[in-house]
Amino acid sequence: MTAPTQFPELTPLPGQPVHAPSGPPILKAENITVRFGGVVAVGDISLAVRPGEILGLIGPNGAGKTTLFNALTGFVTPSGGRVTYNGRDITNMQPQARAKLGMARTFQVERPFEDLSVLENVLVAAFLKYRGTKAEDHAYAVLERVGLADRATQPAAQLNLARRRRLELAKVLALEPKVLFLDESIAGLNPPGQQEMVALIRTLAHSGLAIVMVEHIMHVIMSLSDHVICMAFGELLAEGDPHEVAAHPDVIRAYLGDDND
Amino acid sequence: MTATAPSTRSRPRALTFGNVWLSVALVAILFIYPFVFGKAMNFGISTLLFAGFAMSWNILGGWAGQTSLGHAALLGIGAYSMTLLATPERLPPFLTSPLAPWWGALIGMVIAVAVAAVWGWLTFRLQGSYFALSSIAVALVIRLVVINSNWTGGAEGLFMPDLPKFFGFDLFDRETEYWLAFGFVVLTLVITHLIRRSRMGYALQAVREDEDGARALGIDPARMKLLAFMLSAALMALGGSLYALYLQAFEPHTILELPLSIQIALLAIIGGRTTIQGPLVGALVLSIFGEVFRNVFSNANLLIYGVLILLVTLFAPQGIMGLFNRAGSKLGTAR
Repeated sequence: MTAPTQFPELTPLPGQPVHAPSGPPILKAENITVRFGGVVAVGDISLAVRPGEILGLIGPNGAGKTTLFNALTGFVTPSGGRVTYNGRDITNMQPQARAKLGMARTFQVERPFEDLSVLENVLVAAFLKYRGTKAEDHAYAVLERVGLADRATQPAAQLNLARRRRLELAKVLALEPKVLFLDESIAGLNPPGQQEMVALIRTLAHSGLAIVMVEHIMHVIMSLSDHVICMAFGELLAEGDPHEVAAHPDVIRAYLGDDND
Repeated sequence: MTATAPSTRSRPRALTFGNVWLSVALVAILFIYPFVFGKAMNFGISTLLFAGFAMSWNILGGWAGQTSLGHAALLGIGAYSMTLLATPERLPPFLTSPLAPWWGALIGMVIAVAVAAVWGWLTFRLQGSYFALSSIAVALVIRLVVINSNWTGGAEGLFMPDLPKFFGFDLFDRETEYWLAFGFVVLTLVITHLIRRSRMGYALQAVREDEDGARALGIDPARMKLLAFMLSAALMALGGSLYALYLQAFEPHTILELPLSIQIALLAIIGGRTTIQGPLVGALVLSIFGEVFRNVFSNANLLIYGVLILLVTLFAPQGIMGLFNRAGSKLGTAR
């Protein structure tokens, strides 16, 4: 049997990938390493993202994508390396302080405040930049933007997966961030749900947001981004244009296994 | 947004004070009580004080979700401050004139807030049940200090001396005490309604449900819990100074012990800790049941009380108010 040379799931999603603009990066990570005991979860990864750019982070399960995410957003302190935001060193800054600076993240397993209504969930985030009824107006406007306004009074616990994902997005958008970290916002959605989410993310990038997204569905990344980083076992495998990265033999091996397997 | 302007008027609101009418109804009942049951003032005062304690506890225990089993210590700080500052001969010589009732209550509140700040700073790094366990330990330390010091009256406790009139009212008159306790309950209720509508209230609920989720939205969980604790402590101490007036004499093993802390926590939990009026409802219901059972079943009353608590925790984990909410009415939901 010969090694697979092509990626199986390349059905394209509609729309063009967002091209990275030039200019200085808003967020820069240099040589990030995260060790848990003796295990190197993330080893020496560097990346930079500019306003309006979508940076894709791909790799098989257990590659260290979420750990890298946690290191970039302050939920894990890196064992080595440096994270800068607009030139300012934020490597050891708490997540809540980063949120105030303009960094927002979603979680791989979406975590709404289940006791609160959809509107209240977003309101919690809207209070970061607004006070009183202005915060409420802002929260509702964000719900309209992600198409959840008709669910405003529903308890968040009752939402289905697609709507939970949109609620996660609404919460981070209510923070009015400049850099957005999306941890698998699309995986697990049905095709129409994926298309909606992809369109939404593309609009956000066009509006000037810097987006770093973890995703392991290749064709989703390809339809959105023209710059991806592929990780496996915590290490950088390949970086660059998503089509080239997908064709890279190491990447194919990491995803689909070796000949000898 | 301008195109959707008409819909903004009818759109759902999240920033409300909660169910104000239920609170008004409950307060009205408490207001009428002395005119109807003027002979049972002791029962009324202690019920009100415990309702206020449960409401104060719930700012930390319900809104911030931090179960404290040491709140009796904060109550005790209020009671001891009030009593000691009325008896300056027990205190250092620079205190020559009695400071109670005016300053006694306020100084007690300030001390309680300071204790809560240190206590919270030490223990809020611990998540989950560790805070509850550490709260028992901290309260135990406070109790040991009080029992082993001379100036606190040691294990024998303190007597409240005569106090000057307070706005022309005799503070040892049961009717005056009832209205003071009534004011205390109304204060805790108003503060809870204000929290309900505030940024702080939503931040606290977010912290209660998911600390990391809250941090991602720019909320500092340790800071929010500390704020809730300090507010809770101030109100506990205020109630404690009223409790000292009511008791007139108290001992550390009644006012600083774990059972009192547990009782306060239970009133809130059984009433419904995630609701606004839950602790108040819990205190009213359990006080009335406790009184009835003691009269009807005499010695078996504690057994029945215990079974009742067991039933509520098993079948109504959201408390009495949760039962109402589940029954479809929107009574007093914290949301």
